[in-house]
Amino acid sequence: MDIPSSLAIIALAALIHTSFQLSVSVLMLLGGYTIGAKQSQARLLRLTTSFVIGAGIMTLLLLSFVSLVFLDAFGYDTPQILWAICCGLSVGVAVSIWLFYYRHEKGTTLWIPRGIASYLTERTKSTKLSAEAFGLGLSSVIGEILFIIAPLTMSALVLIQLPLFWQLVGIGIYTVISLLSLIIVWVLIGSGHTLGRIQKWRETNKYFLQFAAGAGLIALAFFVYVSEILGSAAGVI
Amino acid sequence: MSLAVDIIKRGGKRQTERFMREKLHASIVAACLSVRAPEGQAEATAHMVCDAVIAWLQQRPEVTSHDIRMVAIRRLKSYHPEAAYLYEQHLITI
Repeated sequence: MDIPSSLAIIALAALIHTSFQLSVSVLMLLGGYTIGAKQSQARLLRLTTSFVIGAGIMTLLLLSFVSLVFLDAFGYDTPQILWAICCGLSVGVAVSIWLFYYRHEKGTTLWIPRGIASYLTERTKSTKLSAEAFGLGLSSVIGEILFIIAPLTMSALVLIQLPLFWQLVGIGIYTVISLLSLIIVWVLIGSGHTLGRIQKWRETNKYFLQFAAGAGLIALAFFVYVSEILGSAAGVI
Repeated sequence: MSLAVDIIKRGGKRQTERFMREKLHASIVAACLSVRAPEGQAEATAHMVCDAVIAWLQQRPEVTSHDIRMVAIRRLKSYHPEAAYLYEQHLITI
């Protein structure tokens, strides 16, 4: 696979990642609690910025870790069976997203273990320091690992085939794009938009985001399957 | 100020507790502030909503916390619809 195609796959995977909503929900709650507790705008910005940085660092670390594990286990020559497993995983996760991502009730309640949701809610409520908000950002990415594992592994497999410099570029692209939704909400909160309007938009468009994430994953799996499995099989023939 | 009404907590898993006006007041103020309402308006709105909830509670010795939320949301909707929306969404965001 050439470098532009690899980077395009990484960008698409990151776009799918950014459509997942747990971190955005936690950021909304954090904003709500901070404003509701009559904290200053400066503190609101400090906490939300730390949260976004935390989520970014965890994404970067997870992607680097998965890439390192693949590189260590398979080297630069990824076996086709691994590509096939990743494509299957992506299709499976896509179907799960379509079926389960949001709970069938009002609001934007996600299909994640209720224990994790309550823990994140309680932690958000008691977050007062930037370091706590940073930790919350780290945890919110981990909380959604069941869904982000698909775009993450796909990106990791593509990354390890790139030259070193482009690997770094790829990790950077993935991290920045995967943070886009958080950055948008962060800017909206920081610029004085009301949380009610943001939440209303999220609730109105939740099924579209759910569909887009699932469809994006299937498109990604299809493209990778054709280029890596069928493409190399055609090359052998 | 606490009223002689027992509140059954969500899911019935936690112990019941006495109704506390301050607690409800603080949560309504927080919801109003979250939608950038001025502090004075938030306090006044919370005051009116709390009065309405207390009036509703007078004839009820035992209610669930969900009931109180619903009554508060209904009243808040007439004063500040956006704050009511956010108050309603609070438990169903994640």
